[in-house]
Amino acid sequence: MIERIKRNNLGHVILKNKILTFACLAYLLSGFVAMDKISVAIKGTSYYMIEMVQILPAVFILTGLIQTWVPTKTIVKYFGEKSGIKGFFIAFLIGSFSAGPIYAAFPVCRTLLKKGANRRNIMIILSTWAVVKFPMLINEAKFMGFEYMITRWLVTLVGILFMSLVLGLLVKEKDMVLSDQRPRILKSKCIMCKKCVKEYPRHFTFENDRIYVLNLETFTEDHLMVCPVGAITL
Amino acid sequence: MATLLLIGSTLVGLGFSLKKDRNLTLKTLKSARKMMGGMLSDILGILLLIGLMLAWLPPHVIQKYVGEASGFLALLMAGFFGTITLIPAFVAFPLIGSLKDNGAGIMTLTAFLTTLTMVGFITFPLEKKTFGFKFAFVRNSLSFIFALIIAFLVGGIMS
Repeated sequence: MIERIKRNNLGHVILKNKILTFACLAYLLSGFVAMDKISVAIKGTSYYMIEMVQILPAVFILTGLIQTWVPTKTIVKYFGEKSGIKGFFIAFLIGSFSAGPIYAAFPVCRTLLKKGANRRNIMIILSTWAVVKFPMLINEAKFMGFEYMITRWLVTLVGILFMSLVLGLLVKEKDMVLSDQRPRILKSKCIMCKKCVKEYPRHFTFENDRIYVLNLETFTEDHLMVCPVGAITL
Repeated sequence: MATLLLIGSTLVGLGFSLKKDRNLTLKTLKSARKMMGGMLSDILGILLLIGLMLAWLPPHVIQKYVGEASGFLALLMAGFFGTITLIPAFVAFPLIGSLKDNGAGIMTLTAFLTTLTMVGFITFPLEKKTFGFKFAFVRNSLSFIFALIIAFLVGGIMS
């Protein structure tokens, strides 16, 4: 029994640090084959490490500030059935001032769809959320140069506009599925910040090193959006 | 330059935020620290892999396979790798930056970056569940095709 728990914990640690584990294994293997490569690799790594350390705290603080002062749920409140230029503009703003990977946008977009947003705007939000959000652009300029960042931003923006128009033609209103599902907390994503527990103590509880969802009948999309890393999902 | 801009805008934002609500700002800083802590292992892992990759692949090899003149197949492969990989976009920049410094072409790197962030193979089941199969399928397919077009245009403009 104890053995099993230990193994599970180790598995959990490996799963949570899968990229780092993979990197360590690769180094080990490299060391066996050619020891001299390791020192070259470490040297290369430390160069990019120094570059990263300069910007890392600022990127996360900026992301945190955006989340605090431009919370997605506030923008969502003002986003109704708008379409056309205005809808495109708001959709673009939601995507640009966001944090987290694209799957963190899924619950937000679900709420918007329920509020009557059309699928073209959902496409715009998902795409801008993925490729052109603000904290990411500065990081991009640092490693790829300003010229590249601006070129890619402009081209991608036009691309997203076209994409949303094509999607609007291919996918019809009735193709959208909006069934209600049970909320779940992705263990691999959750960083245990307990923001959900603090903000909605009626719906989240922290026990035995895990967060549980309570009172499902009054659970809304607002509760999904409280998570800063998008670990709460349906 | 970009670093100064980033740190500058963060400090300005932080100043305004502190002035408006001190407690909320402190809370924000705490959550930023948590977020960073949560991603630190991924960041370290990717940076270690970048070093190892550069140690094993000399610039002329990178240039040969994903360089400026590597052609459509390299573009397609880069797009495909971006689709199946799931790393935070945030650490993707040092990765593609290091490849660029060592001879990789703008076009292939842009294809990789765009599909990496916009097309999700691993997250497809989640997307299907959220929006239905048709939307998820059309969105991902369109994103893949447009990623190649975007890469082609950005590569063309930049060279």
